[in-house]
Amino acid sequence: MELFLMTLTTGILVGGIYALVALGWVLIYKCSGVLNLAMGEMTLIGAYVSLSFYSMGVPFLLALLFSLIIGFFLGILTERIFLDKLIGEPVLTVIMVTVGLSFFFKGTVEFIWGTDTQVFTPAVFSIEPIHIGPLIVGQVYLWSFFAAILLLVIFVCFFKYTRWGLAMQATADDEMAALSLGVSARFVYAMAWSIAFMAAGVGGTLLGNINGLNISVGYMGLLVLPAVVLGGLNSVPGAIVGGIAIGILQNFAGAYLDRYFPGAVKEIAPFVFMTIFLLFKPHGLWGWERIERV
Amino acid sequence: MATTWLPCGVYHENYTQDHALWQTNFIRGKMLLLALILFFGIPYIADSYVLSICNLVGYTILGALGVQLLIGFCGQITLGHAAFLAVGAYTSTLLILEFPWPKFMIDWGLAYPVSIFIAALVSGIWSVLFGLPSARVKGFYLILTTMAAQFITVDFIITQYVSQVGGRGQAFSLPPGTIKIGPWVIDSNLKVYFLMLFLVIICVVAMVNLLRSRTGRAWVAIRDNDISAEVMGINVIKYKLLAFFVAGCIGGVAGAFWISNLAAISPEHFPWFWSLWLVGVILIGGVGSIHGTIFGSLFMVVIMELLQLAVMPLADTWPKLLMDFLFIKEAAFGLAICAFMIFEPNGIAYRWWQSKNFFNLWPFSY
Repeated sequence: MELFLMTLTTGILVGGIYALVALGWVLIYKCSGVLNLAMGEMTLIGAYVSLSFYSMGVPFLLALLFSLIIGFFLGILTERIFLDKLIGEPVLTVIMVTVGLSFFFKGTVEFIWGTDTQVFTPAVFSIEPIHIGPLIVGQVYLWSFFAAILLLVIFVCFFKYTRWGLAMQATADDEMAALSLGVSARFVYAMAWSIAFMAAGVGGTLLGNINGLNISVGYMGLLVLPAVVLGGLNSVPGAIVGGIAIGILQNFAGAYLDRYFPGAVKEIAPFVFMTIFLLFKPHGLWGWERIERV
Repeated sequence: MATTWLPCGVYHENYTQDHALWQTNFIRGKMLLLALILFFGIPYIADSYVLSICNLVGYTILGALGVQLLIGFCGQITLGHAAFLAVGAYTSTLLILEFPWPKFMIDWGLAYPVSIFIAALVSGIWSVLFGLPSARVKGFYLILTTMAAQFITVDFIITQYVSQVGGRGQAFSLPPGTIKIGPWVIDSNLKVYFLMLFLVIICVVAMVNLLRSRTGRAWVAIRDNDISAEVMGINVIKYKLLAFFVAGCIGGVAGAFWISNLAAISPEHFPWFWSLWLVGVILIGGVGSIHGTIFGSLFMVVIMELLQLAVMPLADTWPKLLMDFLFIKEAAFGLAICAFMIFEPNGIAYRWWQSKNFFNLWPFSY
């Protein structure tokens, strides 16, 4: 029972971070229809940027802010240079450009920062665990979760109540109608990419705080794919639920299945689950089912 | 891509001529010349280093053929093909190292050739297993399931379980002399080169002929529109799975071939990067064209080698560069894919087709 509750809590807390990254992914897909496979590398870039600022002696929150700002500009640049020319191209073309981008980002990150694991020194969150009733939770997890949730709320409010957010919603809903009402689609695409970059950067920074930062954090970014498939590709609440569900699933697989399948079951479980899930519910929990016509 | 136009004044009088693979004497001569260059020219002039690059090109062609079949001819996007290469390589290695072959099989050097066949079959069946979701899902969702194939096969099953067989730890070493075909022990780049040539020619010819048959036309119909293909009476699921099977088989051959070039195999030889690399190769070469597979492989391997040669002199001043070359390579590969997708979406094969037509129709192009 103890183990069950512990696993559940850790799963939910980590899942919050996945939900944040998944939100960025869904945003790009909703607004511009781009299926982005470079998400993992985008988390890496944000994480390394904030790590560099932090190790220069900048306070953590300020470092995070800087990484957000840099992510914002990188997002706009990426969209303008690479994705802007591909509007209306076939799916494979767009996906492969994001794959190319992921290689480019990864190579650049490895070139600049190397492949050794780096940690935030001094540790941002104290390693003293917190006791909540019978549960023992690491402070890193707890604060990361709060930060992720805070950002999720900020992003959701941004979509609901600001002018830009409404423009993005309109474009996601019906691009033609939005264009005729004077919404600039190019602006919205650029915005979606920069928000995704920022969300990924924060997610990466938080993940980097948990286990140290190396290339495998980029692999964590790939976990958004099972998350968004679970929730449905174009559903924001789906992304949040999916992210948390994948976090829980992953930790349960690690805690309970590891006995029977020793090794990397924790990394594989989300993908196995995703494959099986796709067979039964290809459009996820809340995704739109599109009727295809010849 | 349409077939190349014949030169002016060439007419066919019966269907046999019309269906011939090589339609004019000029093309037959060209192919003969190519064969002469491949079998005698290159082995005669090339040193061991050049041969090793040729082998890498051949391996890339074999790997990318399956991807080309799935993406370019059947429209099933796959991002996990390295898994099937790995299955082929591991099947072949395990058969050679662990299977109790009868004495005469080993003496006559039959173990390795037989293991290539079995590797192709096992890999094909494994590929069908992961192709099953294609019956239900397509497009992006299929990409995800093939990605899952990569992670499940290489990172989980092979790393955690298959590698433990025989208690060898992470890597299976292949002692010199184990890879033997008939009387020849495959131990030099030259011998690997001839094996590569043999396998590449067989696989390419098989693919070309398959694509000219009923099966190939069914695949192309599914690629162009699977719903209309179904309406035309094509059993979509059967042909999709067949495509996965054939692609897996070719992947298995590629993997089983590559162990002849390695002293030891480990899961690190088949990372996800390699799956994406193969897709990148066919995108750069040209989707939906056998020429494209070959040109893409040549282009990517040669460009990367040239990049390495360019980095070498700089390494004297910045030793860090040499260590970081892998990362530069990754970044360059990513940029190359992006650039090709944006500026040259039809790939190299399209330009080749254009220039061939230009010369065929010269001086009166219409």
